[in-house]
Amino acid sequence: MINYADAILVVILLSVLLSLESNRLIALVKIMGLQGIMVSLVPLFLEQHSNLSSGGLIFFQIMILVKGLLIPGLLYFAVQRVAIKREVEPIIGYHASLFAGLGMILVSLFITDKLQVSLPGGHTLLLITAITTLGAGLFLMMSRTKAITQVIGYLMLENGIYLVGTALTKQSHTRYVVEFGVLLDVLVGVMIMGIILHNINHAFDDVDTGLLGRLKD
Amino acid sequence: MLEFIFLLPILLGGTAMFLPVMLGRGILIVAALLHLQLTVMGWMGTLTPHFPEYFNSSPEGMLVLLVTSFIFLFIAVYAISYMNETEMQSEPIFISCMLMFLGTMSMATLADHPIVLWIAIEATTLVSAPLIFINRSKEALEATWKYVLICSVGIALALLGCFFITLAMDIKDIDAPLTFSSLNAVAGQLDPTWLKAGFIFVMIGFGTKMGLAPMHTWLPDAHSQAPSPASALLSGALLNCAFLGIYKVHTLMYIAGLGAYSSNILIGFGLVSMLVAGIFILNQPDYKRMLAYSSVENMGVIAFGVGIGGIALYGAILHLIHHSLIKSSLFLSAGNILLGFGSRLVNKTGNLARLFPKTFVSFFAGFAGVSGFPPFGIFISELLIIMGAFQAGRFGVMAVFIFCLILVFAGAARIVMRISFASASEEILVEERLFRVLPPYALLLTSIGLCIWMPDSIYEVILNTIKVLGGSFHG
Repeated sequence: MINYADAILVVILLSVLLSLESNRLIALVKIMGLQGIMVSLVPLFLEQHSNLSSGGLIFFQIMILVKGLLIPGLLYFAVQRVAIKREVEPIIGYHASLFAGLGMILVSLFITDKLQVSLPGGHTLLLITAITTLGAGLFLMMSRTKAITQVIGYLMLENGIYLVGTALTKQSHTRYVVEFGVLLDVLVGVMIMGIILHNINHAFDDVDTGLLGRLKD
Repeated sequence: MLEFIFLLPILLGGTAMFLPVMLGRGILIVAALLHLQLTVMGWMGTLTPHFPEYFNSSPEGMLVLLVTSFIFLFIAVYAISYMNETEMQSEPIFISCMLMFLGTMSMATLADHPIVLWIAIEATTLVSAPLIFINRSKEALEATWKYVLICSVGIALALLGCFFITLAMDIKDIDAPLTFSSLNAVAGQLDPTWLKAGFIFVMIGFGTKMGLAPMHTWLPDAHSQAPSPASALLSGALLNCAFLGIYKVHTLMYIAGLGAYSSNILIGFGLVSMLVAGIFILNQPDYKRMLAYSSVENMGVIAFGVGIGGIALYGAILHLIHHSLIKSSLFLSAGNILLGFGSRLVNKTGNLARLFPKTFVSFFAGFAGVSGFPPFGIFISELLIIMGAFQAGRFGVMAVFIFCLILVFAGAARIVMRISFASASEEILVEERLFRVLPPYALLLTSIGLCIWMPDSIYEVILNTIKVLGGSFHG
């Protein structure tokens, strides 16, 4: 029997590696869309979440809508709007990034192994994926210069945090509040950043955050 | 209904967006007055929370709420005069965001649920970003971008911290509602490893928002680029709200018996912040950035005092109140200087004492206050913190603390002297007006007043705040 949860997690890991290696913004946005859908599907296939209430189902639908459609759609719009035909200009090269991503998987494996003692069991791959996604998101934010790639990195960081949340917390007390928090964060963060991106484009004819260097000491 | 305290400004802020400018200004003042009234009613205990599982009045929260509400009233008065004399683009957005900023900050002070607190802090970022960007210059854009991006990452890490705290409860199979009050009640049974991890992430996350070094990098940019009333609000009120998040988790750690661990982290971050601020203030060409770094330093002082505990904890809470009063007054005075000289650079200013005598008095007195001279409250609070460190026998960190205070004083004194007395062109762009001079005076006088006579209710609330952490006025 196929373990669906693990299959999805592998797809997420793959999407992380792909995004680290991808040099076309449109492709990056599409990968984020896939990752968003996969991330919001994960809780459905976990054992402790199997008995879903109708309220829970609606929540998952909203998650998929927001993470899989709305935000990638906004990003797609932003990419079109600022008309970046050029490829991402990395501070750290693509192959090096990919290598760093693989390294991150190893580190996450190590961390998960260390933490195993005090974890509710059966989540090894979930936690590995979560930490990798989180770390790769931070890495993407730091190693790319385009404002829009940094937003994508932030999105990945968010996905990672959501996965950590689903991996670690039992859903008895706090389910709705926790998920509401992430939704608010993702949604509004990208919206605001999208608006700012739009204005950065007007102000600089480019969306390179390297140009944002006037204020410093 | 306790929730009115934050619902009122948010709703009024929402409507002010669509109203004509003059009506919006009226709403700003009315909302500030009503908010202060509601806050006082909250203090008297006449308001009960409608959703007690999410909102409740805690002594530390009420203290921050009162400070926020009080300085907002004066900032609102100043802002109206300020908007009258500068051509601000999209004034309705400014007024609306100011009110919603007040609302979200009040929500943070009243939140009892970690996630609700987190949502409120996140919301403060969102509604204050337009305030920084209101001038639409390239610099403002850069400041806003850094503010939103850095604070978003910080806030995301804080959420992770909240998850870990929840996990500390789940692992031990404790079935209690997830509120700070009930967590404190079961603190002893929580899993210490995850609680420690949670504290570190909360510390980094909310510490970003609070402006602790090395996560402070957004703060000087945002505070210098925002219009002065917004800077005053950012510095005097927002930083306290972020501190509240750290303080609540620190309380939880203390009750769980991990107080030494979290105290040392607080002391470390506090000293690093003070040192970084001291270094950057020394050769600062921009006086609003100087004030912003001074905020970083003062947040460091507060974190340090809370970390030391005992009588220093009383000092830290006192410092929080007086820093808010004096720093917002200083930012308002700096706004007058900026209007008068039309530049943020120290070199373009001078001779403040003769050109703008009234602003000079408030600016210089504010500088004296923030540097820790009597009769202002920071003198007492810093003295108490040093005494606390002395009592605790932590001479090493105390020496660094005093060294940093001197460093900051030296840097700030050079700038303030230059602005006040150096010769400069006699050109004045905008005269000083009564309503832009009175609010800074009022805030400074409040700080002096609180030193001479502290109302019993405030004194009791401070003692209630620190009692949980084993702090007291008598050491």
